[in-house]
Amino acid sequence: MSARILIIEDEALVAMELKFALLDLGYQVVGLAADAPTALDLVRESEVDLALVDIHLSDGPTGIELGRELGQERGITVLFMTANPGMVRDGVAGAVGVLPKPTDDYAIQSAVEYALQRRKGEPTLYAPPELQVFN
Amino acid sequence: MIDASTSKWTEADRLKALRATGILDTDREPAFDDIVELAASLCETPVAVVNLIDAERQWFKAEVGLGVRETPLETSFCRHALLEADRLVVPDAREDARFACNPLVTAEGGFRFYAGVLLKSGDGAPLGTLCVLDVVPRPEGLTPVQLRALEVMANQVMTLLDLRRGLARERAGNARFDALADSMPQMVWSTRADGFHDYFNARWHEFTGTTPGSTDGAGWSDLFHPEDRERAWEVWRESLATGEPYEIEYRLRRHDGLYRWTLGRATAIRDDEGEIVRWFGTCTDIDDLKQIERGKELVSQELSHRIKNIFAVVSALVALSARQHPEAKAFSQSLRTRINALARAHEFVRPHTEISAPSVGTMTLHAFLEAMFRPYTGVQGAPRVLLSGDDAVFDDQAATSVALLFHEMATNAAKYGALSEPDGWVTLETRKADDRFILVWREHGGPPVTGQPTRVGFGTTLSTLSVEGQLGGRLERLWLAEGLVVKADLPATALSRRRAALKTA
Repeated sequence: MSARILIIEDEALVAMELKFALLDLGYQVVGLAADAPTALDLVRESEVDLALVDIHLSDGPTGIELGRELGQERGITVLFMTANPGMVRDGVAGAVGVLPKPTDDYAIQSAVEYALQRRKGEPTLYAPPELQVFN
Repeated sequence: MIDASTSKWTEADRLKALRATGILDTDREPAFDDIVELAASLCETPVAVVNLIDAERQWFKAEVGLGVRETPLETSFCRHALLEADRLVVPDAREDARFACNPLVTAEGGFRFYAGVLLKSGDGAPLGTLCVLDVVPRPEGLTPVQLRALEVMANQVMTLLDLRRGLARERAGNARFDALADSMPQMVWSTRADGFHDYFNARWHEFTGTTPGSTDGAGWSDLFHPEDRERAWEVWRESLATGEPYEIEYRLRRHDGLYRWTLGRATAIRDDEGEIVRWFGTCTDIDDLKQIERGKELVSQELSHRIKNIFAVVSALVALSARQHPEAKAFSQSLRTRINALARAHEFVRPHTEISAPSVGTMTLHAFLEAMFRPYTGVQGAPRVLLSGDDAVFDDQAATSVALLFHEMATNAAKYGALSEPDGWVTLETRKADDRFILVWREHGGPPVTGQPTRVGFGTTLSTLSVEGQLGGRLERLWLAEGLVVKADLPATALSRRRAALKTA
């Protein structure tokens, strides 16, 4: 079964393109959330393996706290995707890392694969170069 | 002015010099009283006077044996003395034509003997005399010792007058300083050479709610925020030790208990030998400025976030549009990578303020280039574009050009050059040379170069446009057999034009 991915992003165009790119790669997209409450509703309703989390959402810079909660309390693998990676430069507990936006399909593919490998506990030799991995 | 060499003076000069002493109509003073007492006893006369000759009267700063402070000029002995070079001695006034008819002489028990030594201003104008009088004649006049004593004492009177004037001037100066310092919006303070605070202006006491004297010495430090005290002492001690100007920002407690951000500055005042004699300092309340700065910071952060987000939206829009047109996929991909390069450059752009700087990490040219070349790392995760040389900062005006230039070089190398071979690599040396900043891109281990390509791609046009159009530099391409070498020679100011403009302004 392909991985179930939740997109948390308040820019509709960015969210839609990301969704198409993930579908092209054969993943399931369980939903799009533009703010933290919607995201939490979605993870309560459906099984989620990986959440791609923007930091600035429509309810403010709530992405960091949301990512921490999803990762630490709900067992979801979290990958930040933001135009301002500096905001999580020091890392966020429970999250894999951050992929700076805008990015390209190949970087998305390798970052998602890397994150899912880590989730399954599979060995990962090298992180994709674009991905800033948290320690 | 009086011609000192010839002692030529006019009555106007003399009166001006007299008025300048500021002595007329002042109270009696012991220093002058002592002198006339000493003169009378040394010369063994009943009368001695420090006499100043005004326009219409003679006025006595000190006298013994007269009992009045002034008399009319008509009966004055001393006004005749003024016409002499240094002194006038009249052994018996009854036998002197100038005084024989003087009522002071003809009166019952009138004066017979007079000896006066001139009181002369620095310019040589006679202001009056130190004189002694007796009611009995003295044919032998004064003894040489008495005369000499009278001269010495006359000099002492003049010295006293000068000192008095100096003191008055200093007092006026202090009053002017106090008025100036108290009318300033800043707090003003001053210390001795050893840093002991002994002066604060009114504004200091008004701001801090302290009473004069209570913050002297080192008492001021209690008004600093506890977290700032040690730092302030350190900077102050450093200034005291080196004599370098003192400058620091700290929080100062206002009378209402609120701490306000304050800019403290001080400079040392030195004497002719260069020794520090005093420190003068100011405290300026900059709390409002700080608030505005913080507000600006927030706006600028928000703006920066939005700009970067717009790149992401545009990039997504390009990709979404291309989905409808499979034939445009290659085009959209190359456009997106260029947009992405621009976005990445803006992440590393100056100016960021002090507060935002730590949140984004190192923002230098090398840090940006490392991030930009990260996709080209080898299979082992090792970088394939090796950076060396001088680092630099760049601003948003230069970001677009820098991003496009190196994006094109890297994608080109990945397609046709050194990065198209698994073992190929690139060195990028950046070097500051006087007023130039030079970047040399050198490809190694790529496919053999057979010469300059016949077709000029758009990427090449973009690179040239960035360097020669936008950055005002020169771009040189050498198609060497072992690999392409590209040299960008920029004015040193090209990367941070705004900063350069600020510096020269």
